[in-house]
Amino acid sequence: MRQLFIILSLIFAALGLVLTILPFYTIAVIPIIVGFIFGLIAFKISKKSNKSTNIIKATFLVIIISLCISIYRSVFEVNVIEEDNIETIKKQKQSEQETINELESLDIEE
Amino acid sequence: MLRLFLSVFMFTSIVSFSQNNTISSGEKLTFMASYNMSGLMTDLAEVTMETSEIKTSKNTLLRLKCKAKTFTKWDNFFKINDLYESYVSPTTLKPYLYKREINEGNYYKFMQYNYNYKSQSVKSLMRKRRGDGTFWEENKNLRLGINTKDLVTTLYHIRNLDIQKAAIGSSDTFTVLLDNKEHIIKITLLGKETINTKIGKKECYKLAIAMNENGLLKGNNNNLLWLTADANKIPVYAKFKIAVGSGELRIQSATGLK
Repeated sequence: MRQLFIILSLIFAALGLVLTILPFYTIAVIPIIVGFIFGLIAFKISKKSNKSTNIIKATFLVIIISLCISIYRSVFEVNVIEEDNIETIKKQKQSEQETINELESLDIEE
Repeated sequence: MLRLFLSVFMFTSIVSFSQNNTISSGEKLTFMASYNMSGLMTDLAEVTMETSEIKTSKNTLLRLKCKAKTFTKWDNFFKINDLYESYVSPTTLKPYLYKREINEGNYYKFMQYNYNYKSQSVKSLMRKRRGDGTFWEENKNLRLGINTKDLVTTLYHIRNLDIQKAAIGSSDTFTVLLDNKEHIIKITLLGKETINTKIGKKECYKLAIAMNENGLLKGNNNNLLWLTADANKIPVYAKFKIAVGSGELRIQSATGLK
């Protein structure tokens, strides 16, 4: 049982870390919390049976790092959109001209 | 992205083309589009709605432009760059030309509607990109219903409605031309609500949108729009539910209002 919780905690901690690095850092909180809960259970079981808790502590470290990155990115990362490049601007101007030509050919009654 | 737009754009027109008292040139509204990922709202894209004047040799028209662009962090996963434009009469908001350009990853689609009110028809052009990068076109002539409008014009028309005169609980059905098909939508005024937005605390009209025929929007009261209860009636918040999830649009800034 202890091993199962350690493995689950490791999997969720790793998943949380991967998601925090990717743009999915908001939803990374879910595997981080789940990983922490499994880690806590594994820690309690290990303490009761006097077994090593080193790997669980390492997992907690990964969880803390992931959580810090996730919070940092959520608070400080600015959402930016791609600026129009020269080619796009050219296309837009061409499209605008086409639109004006199109409008000239339409029967517009005010 | 179309679905995202639908949450905002599924709004209506009145029977006739009334006088425009709300929309002016030079207006710019910016929204944050978020999608529900595992119960958490994740910011996905920026949506802008702009108006500007466009001059031809004979007329001056109002250009209603709506753009949706994903944030650069998502571009490696799914890149969206959509443009919706409608060219309307500045006095009546009557549409004359509609353009829609969809760029979503490798998917490209262009739609154009040329309105002809004399023959009560719409000349439709659809251009799509094949897998090998070449394009194909389809031209059609569609019958134009009395109240049929494109998405963009419809949205601006609802802002021009006298919502203050409508009774709470009242509803109506409207017709939107989308992908060469007329779609019937139902709008219900649910009441007034004061909500906090990036542009301040606003008293709003809360409206529900339902689309019965193709189920693009799910449920009767799952798709909601809040319009400010003032002369500008700007959309400040929208919630939508579609087949693959749910999301929301939140206003970030509003400039150039009347």
